Amino acid sequence: MSAQQLGESVKQRFGDKVISFSVPQPDQLYLTVTSDSIVPVAEYLYKDQGCRFIINSGTDRRQQRGKFLITHFFAQDKEKFYIAVHTEVDEDEPQIDSITPSVPAANWSERETRDMVGVVPTGHPDPRRLVLSDDWPEDLFPLRWDVEHGVKPPSVEGVAPERLAPPEGASVVPIGPYFPVLEEPAYFRVFVEGEEVVGADYRGFYSHRGVEKLGCSVLTYNQIPFIAERICGICGFVHSCSYCQAVERAAGIEVPPRAEYIRTIMLELERIESHTLWLGIAGHIIGFDTVLMQTWRMREPLMWLCERISGNRKTYGMNLVGGVRRDIKPEIYDDIRQVLTDIEREWQELYDAIPGDSTLMARLQGTGILPTEVARSLGAAGPTARGSGLAIDVRVDHPFAAYDRLEVTKCVYDGCDNLARTLVRLDETVDSIKIIRQALQDMPEGPIMAEIDEEIPAGCEGMSAVEAPRGEVFHWVLTGTENRPERWRVRAPTYANLQNVPPMLEGNALADVPICIGSYDPCFSCTERMEIVDVNSGQVRVYSQEEILNGDYRRQDD
Amino acid sequence: MTFAINIGLALLLGPLLAGVVRKMIRARVHSRQGPPIVQPFYDLFKLLGKEDLESGPGLVLRYAPMVAFAAILAAALLTPMGLRPPLGGYGDMIVFTYFITIAVVGVIMTGLTSASPYSMLGAGREIMMHLIVEPVLIICLVTAAIKCGSLLMWDMAASNYVNGPSISMVVAAVALFLALQAQIGKLPFDIPEAETEIMGGPFIELSGPKLALFQWAFFARQIVYASVLAAIFIPWGTGFALPWNIAAHLLKVIVIILLVGLIDVVNPRLRIDQAMTYFFGVIFVALVGMGFALIGA
Repeated sequence: MSAQQLGESVKQRFGDKVISFSVPQPDQLYLTVTSDSIVPVAEYLYKDQGCRFIINSGTDRRQQRGKFLITHFFAQDKEKFYIAVHTEVDEDEPQIDSITPSVPAANWSERETRDMVGVVPTGHPDPRRLVLSDDWPEDLFPLRWDVEHGVKPPSVEGVAPERLAPPEGASVVPIGPYFPVLEEPAYFRVFVEGEEVVGADYRGFYSHRGVEKLGCSVLTYNQIPFIAERICGICGFVHSCSYCQAVERAAGIEVPPRAEYIRTIMLELERIESHTLWLGIAGHIIGFDTVLMQTWRMREPLMWLCERISGNRKTYGMNLVGGVRRDIKPEIYDDIRQVLTDIEREWQELYDAIPGDSTLMARLQGTGILPTEVARSLGAAGPTARGSGLAIDVRVDHPFAAYDRLEVTKCVYDGCDNLARTLVRLDETVDSIKIIRQALQDMPEGPIMAEIDEEIPAGCEGMSAVEAPRGEVFHWVLTGTENRPERWRVRAPTYANLQNVPPMLEGNALADVPICIGSYDPCFSCTERMEIVDVNSGQVRVYSQEEILNGDYRRQDD
Repeated sequence: MTFAINIGLALLLGPLLAGVVRKMIRARVHSRQGPPIVQPFYDLFKLLGKEDLESGPGLVLRYAPMVAFAAILAAALLTPMGLRPPLGGYGDMIVFTYFITIAVVGVIMTGLTSASPYSMLGAGREIMMHLIVEPVLIICLVTAAIKCGSLLMWDMAASNYVNGPSISMVVAAVALFLALQAQIGKLPFDIPEAETEIMGGPFIELSGPKLALFQWAFFARQIVYASVLAAIFIPWGTGFALPWNIAAHLLKVIVIILLVGLIDVVNPRLRIDQAMTYFFGVIFVALVGMGFALIGA
């Protein structure tokens, strides 16, 4: 059923529990429900309608409404629309029923909303602190409007994260916070019996940058794309693109077709860059450095090409609300095609070599099984989901930019293992090359930036998703005054995928843990962007031996 | 003089060949320039010149590297390297395997006494690998002993040279070559160290001279194992006059080490259980070789 029909059906089913619903565009459904009906509505959407949970968001609207706004986002992939379920809770009683028991994928984001906005999910099965550091004060909620950006509470000695106890008889092998194959800090406590993994616990969010707070309190609409692009060092364009689209949706800005094609081409170039990078790292993880060296050599001409187009090898800085800042000049069409032809040839050789490499297959096949059901319930995204047989791809399900005019193939494998996730990425790279070729051929002439004369009105909202190399990037913008959003919510695919790591690790050999984690292509910088951080770079503190032995790594003092 | 040749080959040719493999094979396959050929020596000297830190108390951590180093050198003195081994009259294949095992025990003890879960895991893997890989060497040597009727390694080499190739010795040579990759800790069997999984395993706590001693011992071990394979199971060339017999031996060792280096660079790492399965197969091949020797083939 369409967005309009679904809205009516919810209204009919829940009666006056549904305060209002609106469908400003055919692919966006906004529902407002009473706070006591959030669980049944979420269950109806998730279980009966087969919607996919994306993320939840908390907004402090005490100034405007005297309430906190809690929003659960869902996607209806078959019918190509997104759903936002708004609920308001009283400022005196900041709590809301947890939907995690019915919708397991909401686990992290509900905890995050509690940490950041202070609305407690009652009945949450695992209410440990998620995002904030362990010595952060209990009653200081960074995303509330009356908390300044950059606040630095004093550090407290002797606090440690609550840890899951290992099962009886198992010992703990720490992977992280710093580990050779993790490019960024993340702390997996892997419970092992001998070499077999029987469980895992995750603690992350060690390097938060407070990006959302920055966007909602310091920056302006057209500064945010550059910060958004820096959410990730590998797939940054997806964030700036998704943010710009969300604002364009909210403000009703029409992007010129040529800008849409340019965004599409850059997104696909980025996907090739990311997948080649991933393949190299995956090779390195299983000790196959030849793969690392060769794929990164193949990738280098692409980096040069992006530098020619945008001025940068990565972090292109091309998106603005309303279009793009740089054109792709017709003179370099042929150079793009040439680089693509070279990559395609070498990629094909690689592709043909993999099934014949029995040692490589032994490491990939049958390891890191993520069953389809688990992937669906925990909200896996991108190649992780497609490797587990879930046919979801934003480019096809919710076409954005120029994808509705291009031929995109969903690359789906149902092996559910590391091999399947590898094959998805190998296929997608080939597909990306085809998409770029087609886009270059079809790209229309014309302006690359929309004329924006009027100020963006406050109180409008827009949802937008982009298929990043790692999966679905989702941005929601609630427009505000002072030329900046009131709330900007970001969901990176790794946020969803990391929640799938512990169930996937169980039953594997410890030796497979690095490649299993690596097979999700985790991007911790994408995930960890929410917290207000005291950035005391350059500070050096020497830990005493006791502190290190006790695992007491505390936040540094100013 | 044979003392000087054996010790010199083990201590100098080991790191040098490792450098050649890194520069000429590994870097070339990677499309890289690669480090200078003598880089392993630079690394060793740098490590030897560093402060000698000890990560924990105990005699084991202090002396295990030296014991391992000395054990490999002693094994080198029992190994025929083109000439009659200098200590050949004092120890046979049984003493040789003891020395090799002492070096491995040094690694295991280092791993078990370092207070790190990674070194524990590394030590555990080292034990498993040793228990499954070492029988291959022993079975192959026993095969040679049956053929020549002596436990002395020089007698085995001479006998195989004089009597010419036999089925049992060829099968044993194949089995030993299949195990060589693991015996000298190369991919796909560098499982106990596995940098990307357990961060160097038993050696995680080591630095400076202690790490240098282990590394040097392992460079030397490559030459020892390659020499056993070359001298006893591929003995041709041993009958030349000095110095051609040494040159022939060197050539064989170099070819073997380069082959091992090539296999190392085109393979990912196996899991320990997959390695076990593989070595059950290799042990079977080695046993078939011994069977042939028992029936005189």
